[in-house]
Amino acid sequence: MRRTTTLWMTAGALALASGAAWADAAAGAKVFQAKKCTDCHYTDGPAREKSLADQLAKKGPELWYAGSKFQKDWLGKWLQDPNPIRPLKYNSLTEKNTGGHPKLAGAEAADVTEFLMSRTSPLVKGGEIKPKTNPKGRLVFTKNMPCSGCHQFPGQKFTGGMNGPSLAKAGERLNPDWIFAYLKDTKTFKPVRQMPVFAGVLNEQDMKAVAEYVATFK
Amino acid sequence: MRTLFHAAALFLAAGLAVAPAFAADGEQLYKFYCAQCHGLQGKGDGPNVVKDFPVDPRNFTRADEMNKLSDADIRNVILDGGPVANKSPMMPPWGKTLAKDEVDALVKHLRVLCKCKGKS
Ligand code: HEC
Ligand code: HEC
Repeated sequence: MRRTTTLWMTAGALALASGAAWADAAAGAKVFQAKKCTDCHYTDGPAREKSLADQLAKKGPELWYAGSKFQKDWLGKWLQDPNPIRPLKYNSLTEKNTGGHPKLAGAEAADVTEFLMSRTSPLVKGGEIKPKTNPKGRLVFTKNMPCSGCHQFPGQKFTGGMNGPSLAKAGERLNPDWIFAYLKDTKTFKPVRQMPVFAGVLNEQDMKAVAEYVATFK
Repeated sequence: MRTLFHAAALFLAAGLAVAPAFAADGEQLYKFYCAQCHGLQGKGDGPNVVKDFPVDPRNFTRADEMNKLSDADIRNVILDGGPVANKSPMMPPWGKTLAKDEVDALVKHLRVLCKCKGKS
């Protein structure tokens, strides 16, 4: 008896310490509504944008495949301390992103993380792409293709353009498998976007190599 | 019968009203896809062009430069990117992204920006 109590207490303490053990997707879905996250984000696929006007009308990025796109640890922390990802304001070429994204406190952030991690896409396979510094990926990213023209990255002197989401910490933020899936199936995730489609320009080996390379950015 | 006729007329009117929205709008396409590097006015000064950006995007308002390119040259570089014209790969390939009528509309819009006709 005494033994079981201790066990339960240990489990409880562990759960409290991690803060995530009781986190629950259904509760997260409710927080997502109550905090009006739905004003700017949709969480049910497939993609809804059909025209430039549809994309330009969006107030924030789509989150219907968030569970395939993000690393859970990153998401849990970012929701509590949402520092800018895109150097420019969403859908603007002239204004800087000055931050100020709505914040969530610990328990709510944990629930919303569970909820968003439940939004996945079958196109993203698990464990196919591992972070790896490789010469082919670097060549594609920095020389042969215009990736760095729009995305910040950990470069020597030139650290990338401003209009795309920063990839400077992509290795902490993005699921490496999603990077590859997105390059391969760009239009399924984002039918209308300012980034060119590279499928058919790059072959699958090149796309894998560059995904592995981007996944090392920290 | 009359109802049918009315329905058909309505249908036609709706079709006509909607049609222009589907025609590729060169200026709108330019602002969305190209201005990030070439600038909203076409001066080659979009927000991506930070200090240390390796190569200046073409300034489309320079008629002298733009006159050296034919419409076909412009179309090819849009479709396949800089390297097809021995230019920098910082100019992306848009062939897998844009439809043919969208590329045509962009070529026309660049001619508006340069106020020039180009080499024939
Ligand atoms: C007023 C509109 C708005 C509201 C409300 C809003 N967001 Fe956002 N959200 C944005 C914008 C804009 C970005 C892009 C921020 C950046 O790039 O720095 C973003 C980014 C995100 C991201 C990262 C997505 C990505 O692709 O980079 C997540 C996750 C997110 N929001 C969750 C939430 C949650 C949870 C809430 C509710 C607590 C919420 N948002 C409320 C506008 C909004
Ligand atoms: C990532 C930045 C970037 C984007 C986005 C971009 N360009 Fe460019 N573009 C460049 C750069 C850089 C050059 C100059 C290349 C050089 O001189 O080596 C260039 C050159 C050009 C040229 C001149 C080629 C020549 O032979 O002189 C044309 C035409 C052109 N771009 C059209 C477009 C159009 C149309 C779009 C939008 C669909 C577009 N560009 C989007 C960066 C970009």
